Amino acid sequence: MMRNKIIEMRGIVKSYYLGTPNELEILHGIDLDVYEGEFLSIIGASGSGKSTLMNILGALDRPTKGHYYLDHLPMENVRDDGLSQIRNKKIGFVFQTFNLIPRSTALKNVALPMLYGGVPRSERSRRAAELLQLVEMSGRSHHRPNELSGGQKQRVAIARAMANNPAIILADEPTGALDTHTGRLVMDIFHRLHQEQGKTIILITHNAELAEETERTIRLRDGSIVDNRMNGHYQLEACNESV
Amino acid sequence: MNLFENVRLALEGLRANKMRALLTMLGIIIGIASVMAISTLGSAMTGSVTKTMDKIGGKNIMVSLSPKNYDTQSTLQEEDLITQDELDAFRSTYTDQIKAISFSTGMGSGQLNSGFIHKDVSITGASPDYGLVNNINLVQGRFISDRDMDGTRNVIIIDTTLRNNLVGVDGDVIGKEIQVDTKSTNETYTVIGVYEKLVIDNPLFYMGDDTRIECFIPITTAKSLNPDTTNLNGYENFTIMATSNTDSAAFALTTKEYFVKGLGALSDFTIQAESLEAMASEATGMLATLSLGISVIAGISLLVGGIGVMNIMLVSVTERTKEIGIRKALGARNSAIRSQFIIEAIIICLIGGIIGVGLGSALGIMGSTLMKFPTSPPFLPMIIALCFSMAIGVFFGFYPANKAAKLDPIDALRYE
Repeated sequence: MMRNKIIEMRGIVKSYYLGTPNELEILHGIDLDVYEGEFLSIIGASGSGKSTLMNILGALDRPTKGHYYLDHLPMENVRDDGLSQIRNKKIGFVFQTFNLIPRSTALKNVALPMLYGGVPRSERSRRAAELLQLVEMSGRSHHRPNELSGGQKQRVAIARAMANNPAIILADEPTGALDTHTGRLVMDIFHRLHQEQGKTIILITHNAELAEETERTIRLRDGSIVDNRMNGHYQLEACNESV
Repeated sequence: MNLFENVRLALEGLRANKMRALLTMLGIIIGIASVMAISTLGSAMTGSVTKTMDKIGGKNIMVSLSPKNYDTQSTLQEEDLITQDELDAFRSTYTDQIKAISFSTGMGSGQLNSGFIHKDVSITGASPDYGLVNNINLVQGRFISDRDMDGTRNVIIIDTTLRNNLVGVDGDVIGKEIQVDTKSTNETYTVIGVYEKLVIDNPLFYMGDDTRIECFIPITTAKSLNPDTTNLNGYENFTIMATSNTDSAAFALTTKEYFVKGLGALSDFTIQAESLEAMASEATGMLATLSLGISVIAGISLLVGGIGVMNIMLVSVTERTKEIGIRKALGARNSAIRSQFIIEAIIICLIGGIIGVGLGSALGIMGSTLMKFPTSPPFLPMIIALCFSMAIGVFFGFYPANKAAKLDPIDALRYE
């Protein structure tokens, strides 16, 4: 069975010019394939380049060199507005610090990507309510972020990431600001989305234990991929497939 | 993202900072309010001037012979006077500009006697067009006719006050004979008409309470009775009523030139022609200067207000850098961010403008009521003021909004 390649990166280089000759290369030619329905983790110490990689994956930034196809779409020469549209339709972000709009209610926060996607108002509210139900936050839909606990905020953020039914969910240290128990609950939601909805999820973390839970882990060190392997019981499946 | 969504977003943003938004609006409010107050007052004043001008004949040009040099004694010669032929020629040259020409001559004051009633009156000899030119409002009977003129008849038009004195409000005075004694005459006249005295209720034209009773008789009768008037074949003054689409100030000049030529260089006299409109525009010109002064102050206030709006929007953009980053990460285009902030600036200014228009109109109405001008706030300046305040929003909101739109999403997300 040919699996749909949702991300294809070839020779991605990112460097910053801090005035010649001080060129700082953060990523040194990354090759990465992610298939539809995969639950992938990217692990690395701070300074390994994982934030930079995530920014490029999330269409927040452009690589200096290399090719990146997101959902078969070449990302070179896409203008700023095009990148906005890609972020809106193809990518759902979950951040460590939740990044909810403080003045807006949970429902409005979830509806926000749909607002920028041009979804009509009534449809936005309907879908936002549905998504809040999915993350078991229906009871809190009219609360503002400052009236929610960390775990609740992250669940709202996950619902928001799902708003436009994106091709991938990019989760950057989603449990980093949470205690172990609530972190567990959040991870369970990701597993559920992966299993029940077949979402492609990329988890960026420095926590090896959490990475272990995913299907495949990519380890970054000093801007290069040093390890790319299947985890635990998924390994067997992959072996069977390759045969 | 449509406009409605943007307005909703902007209102949400403003609601979060009510006090700050109000203080920011203050400059706009003061600026718009002062413009609005002066234009309300101004339009009330010009409106009442125009109304009064219509009443007393704004299109009238008063033409008279006056000595070139007041120091030397000059006597009017018969050849100086403007003859009927000259007038007819003038009139046929400018048919399009002239609606009517009237003549009058003062007979001085006298005493009216009718039975036991004695009243002080002033007598004016008038031509048939005098009624039209001077807006005489007849309530009974008729004005002087050509036949009255030709026959130098002893007919008289009196005002309502006199009629009420003679026969009461409901009495019929037409055909009644009254006797008027002046310094040199002692004549009996038949009443042919009653007119209502013009009441000028404009403080700009206030000239004291005029309690005189003016009566009109045919100018020919007046001249024949007045021994000082040696000649009947010329006029030393008359009034031209210009047609409504004529620039009476310009036509006054034309008139002057026309008759000066007819006078000849040797005459001791020259022609004066003045239009009431030009005199009134001098009065309103003063108001225009005042308006200009206040407008300059208002303009400065609006400029400062606009800079205040820009300043607060810059603060707002910095404060909400993280929010902008989030919005961009979720797919907001640069244009969506830009319009969100511009619309926020426009709404601040528009609300300020609305408050300013309300406040200014109230002040203007108060002012004009105090000065006894009938007034209603002018509609057009209101619209202009509101549009202008929105334009300030666009102008001073653009820079901060553009700054927000150009933020790098990664930097903005990282901002704490």
